Amino acid sequence: MSSITKSKSHVSSLMSAINPLANPRGAKKQCELCQNPAYLQCSKCRVTFYCDTEHQQADWVGIHEKVCQLLIPIRTATLFHSLQADRDHHCAQILHRQEELIEISRAVAQKKLFEGKYQESLPAAQLSLRCAMDVYGSSAVQLVPAYLLLAEANVGLGSLAQAEEYLSQAEWTVMKTPECSQTVRHQLHRNLGRLYTATENLEGALLHFANDVYYASEEYGLDNIVTCGGYFLMANVFIKQEKMDIASSLYTEVASTWHSHLTKLLETHTQGSMTLEHSFDEAQQAEADQMLRAMLKVQESSPKQAAAQNALVAHSLAMLWFLGGSPDKALEFGRKALQSSQLVSDHSLTEPIQSLLQLAAEKGPHPTNAS
Amino acid sequence: MSAAFPPRQKVTFLPDINKLEKRSPAQELTSPWSRMQKRGKETEPTQPARSQTPTVSKDEIALFRNSVRQNACVEMLRGGFHRSFSELFSLLQRWKEIRLAAGPGSAIWQHKSLEEQTAKLHTLQHYLTGAEAALRAGEWSTVYDKRVFLAQYFREPEDSWLSCHFYQTSLTSARRVKIDGGRKEAEALANMGQVYMEQGNYRLMGQVHMEQGQLDSAREQYERFYQLTAGRAWSREGGRSLHRQACEGLWRVYTQLADTPLQAKDYKAAIHTLSKAFQMAKEAGDHRIEGQAAYRVGLAYQFVGDQVTAKRFLNMYMEISTALGDAGGLGKAYKAIAKSLESEGKLSETVQYLEKFAEVSQSNNQYLNLEEACMYLGVIFNSRGQYKKGCTYFERGYEIACDLGDVPLLQRAQVFVGSARAHSMIRNYSRYVETASHGDLLHLTGWKESREDVFTDATAPAGAGESREDVFTDATAPAGAGESREDVFTDATAPAGAEGKI
Repeated sequence: MSSITKSKSHVSSLMSAINPLANPRGAKKQCELCQNPAYLQCSKCRVTFYCDTEHQQADWVGIHEKVCQLLIPIRTATLFHSLQADRDHHCAQILHRQEELIEISRAVAQKKLFEGKYQESLPAAQLSLRCAMDVYGSSAVQLVPAYLLLAEANVGLGSLAQAEEYLSQAEWTVMKTPECSQTVRHQLHRNLGRLYTATENLEGALLHFANDVYYASEEYGLDNIVTCGGYFLMANVFIKQEKMDIASSLYTEVASTWHSHLTKLLETHTQGSMTLEHSFDEAQQAEADQMLRAMLKVQESSPKQAAAQNALVAHSLAMLWFLGGSPDKALEFGRKALQSSQLVSDHSLTEPIQSLLQLAAEKGPHPTNAS
Repeated sequence: MSAAFPPRQKVTFLPDINKLEKRSPAQELTSPWSRMQKRGKETEPTQPARSQTPTVSKDEIALFRNSVRQNACVEMLRGGFHRSFSELFSLLQRWKEIRLAAGPGSAIWQHKSLEEQTAKLHTLQHYLTGAEAALRAGEWSTVYDKRVFLAQYFREPEDSWLSCHFYQTSLTSARRVKIDGGRKEAEALANMGQVYMEQGNYRLMGQVHMEQGQLDSAREQYERFYQLTAGRAWSREGGRSLHRQACEGLWRVYTQLADTPLQAKDYKAAIHTLSKAFQMAKEAGDHRIEGQAAYRVGLAYQFVGDQVTAKRFLNMYMEISTALGDAGGLGKAYKAIAKSLESEGKLSETVQYLEKFAEVSQSNNQYLNLEEACMYLGVIFNSRGQYKKGCTYFERGYEIACDLGDVPLLQRAQVFVGSARAHSMIRNYSRYVETASHGDLLHLTGWKESREDVFTDATAPAGAGESREDVFTDATAPAGAGESREDVFTDATAPAGAEGKI
C-alpha cells in the first residue's frame, strides 16, 4: 500500500494539471500515447502531455524517464536567428537531436522486447516511429525498423490484427525501395515469420524464415549469431510440424554457433582485453538466454538424450551468465555441463568447463558455493 | 489472360431431328437463339466470370522477382535442408573469393559465375537435398553416391575445384560407410588421388612447389588406397581390380615425384623414388609400365654413373619391349645401353648396339631415331679414326635429315659430314703441303678448284667417298693402333682444319 502511495506521490510531483480551455487559440495539447485532449503536463520538461495518470505512468516507465530532457529542444518553438548560418546550424542541431532520440528509443524498445515486456515497449516504439516520421517523412524506408518493433510488440501482446497492419505497411515500404538494405529485409522477414507462427500459418512462416536466414547470411555470414537466431525460429516451427529430426539438427547448428562465439568472447575476456560489461549487449544477452534455455528444455525432454549436445548448451549458458555478470548462475549451469560432458566419450569439453567453473568461483560473491 | 469475350458457342441452326430421345414440345427449343441461351446457362457456372483475372501464387511471384540463387536457397531452407543451404552458399562465396583473388585479366574473370548458370544450380540443389535427406536417415552409401555424381557432373576445367570439393566430401562420407568393409572408402581415395594428380598437371610448370604439394597429397591418398586394397579382391565395373589401380596410381605418382629431384640433380632421392615406382609397377602386373619403370630407373643409374645396375635394368626393359613387340621402346633401350657401354669404354659393343638400334628404327620407319643412330655411329667411328665408316653413316644421316626436312638436323648432319671428310683427308693434305713437290702442288690446286678428291691416285668420282677413304686409311697408320694418336690429331687440328680448309 505504501509503495502505491509513494509511487502516486512520486508521480504527482512530476505532473501538473492543465486545463484545455486555457490553451492558446488553435494549440491543441494531445496525450502522448492516445492523442486525446490532455489534462496533465510533465513538470520536468513541460513539453509532454498526458490525458490521465495511467498513461503518464506507462510512458514514464516505458521511455520518458530516459528521454525527458532530450525532448525539450525538439518540441519548443525555435528562436529567432537573424543570420541564415545560425538558422541552418540550429536546424542541423535539431536534426541531430532527433536522430539521437530515434536511436535511443529504438534501443530501449528492442531491449524490452527481448525481455518479454511487450506492453512496456509500446511507448518507446511509438516515439521512435513518430520521430522517424518527423525526420524522414511518412513513407521512407527508415521507418521500417520502427514498424517492425511495433509489430513485434503487438504479436507478443496477441493483437495480431494490429501487428499485421504494421507489418504490411513495412512490407509495402520495403517493396517500394529496391535498394533497401539486407539487414532491414531480414528483420522484416523475421517478424513476418513470427506473425505467421502466431497465426499458425506454418508454411508461410517457414517461407519467411527461409528468406530471413538467406538475407542474414548475405549480410552477416553463415556462422553469425544473427543467422542462427533465424535457425532457432525455424526449428520451433518444425517442432510444431512434428519434424523432430530437422529441428534437432537445426538446434545443433545454433548451439555450436553460440558456443564458438561465447568461447571467443571468453578468451578475449580472460586475456584481459575486454571488460565484462562491454562484452555483451543486453538485448543480445536476453535473446541468447531465452534461446539456449528453450533448447536445453527441449533436449532434456526428448526421448534420446544426446549428452554431448546437453553439455554444449549448458556450457554456453554458463559462459553467457558469466560474461553477463552473474557468476552464481554460471556456476549452476557449469555444474550441469560438467555432468553431461563426463557422460560423453570425447572429453574435449571437460577442461574448458572446469576452467570456467574456477573463474566463476573466484569471481563469485559466495566463495563457499564454489565446487 | 482474362477472357475478353465469352467464347463462341457452337449451336446448330436447326433443331436436331436425328436424336432419338423423346422430348416434350415444351422442352424443344426451336430457335437457335433459345438453344444458345440454354447452352449458355449450362456452361455459365463452369466458365470464369469475365472480370476475373487468374491469380498467381506467392511462390510464383517470388520466382519471378528474386534471383535464381535466392530461390534455390529459400527452397532448400523451407524443406529444412539447412546443411545443403550452407554448403551451396559457401561454394558460391568461395567462387567469388577465388575470382577476386585472381584479379581482373585472369582466366577466371571472364567466366560466368556459378549462380548465373541455372542448370548447374538446380542440379546442385536437387542432389544436395537428396544427400542431406539420406544423411538424416543415416544411409551413408546414398550420400556417397550422390556426391560422387555431383563430382563427376562438374567435369569442365573451370569447375575442377568444385569437383575436388565433392570428391573430398564423398571421401568423408565414404569413411562412414561401415558395411562393405571400406570398399567405398577405397574408391573415394582413388578418386582423390586422381584429382590431385590432375590438379598437379594443370598447374604451370614454374610453380614447382605447388605441384609438389599436390603430388604429396596424391601420394598419401594413393598409399592409403593401396593399404586398403592390399589383399582384397575388389573390382570396379569394367573388371579392373582396385588393387592394380592402386599400384598403377602409385607408380605414376612416384614417377612424377622423381622429376623434381632429377631437376635438382639429387640423384639419390630420384633413384630411391624410381625404384619404389618400379616395385609398384611390377606388382601391378602390367608389363608395359614395368618396362617403362625399368627404363627410368636405368637412366637414373646412368646419371649416377653406376653403369652395371643401369645395364641390368635396361636389359630388363629391352626384354619386355621385345616381348611386347614395342619397337620404339626397344630402340630406346638399345640407345640407352649403348650410352652406358660407351661411358664404360666398350666401344665395339656400343657399336653393336647402335647398329641394332639403327636396324630397329629402319624396320619401323622411325626416321628420326634412325638419323640419330647414324649420327651417333658416325661420331663413334670418327673418334676411333675410322673416318670411312664414319663418313658413310654421316652421309646416310644427312640424307634422312633431307628427307625429313628438318633444317637444324640437316645443318648438323652437314657439319658432321664435312668434318668427317676433312679428317679423312687431312693427313695426306698436310703431308702434301709440307713436302710441296710440284706434283703435290698440282694436286692441291686441282683440289681447290674442283673440290674433288685428288688426293688419291685414280680420279674418283665426286660423290664416291668410299674409295677416297680407302686410300687414306691404307696410306695412314692402321686405325686401331693409331687410335690415341688419331684422337689427339683430330682434336688438335679439327677446328683449324674445318675452318681453314673447308
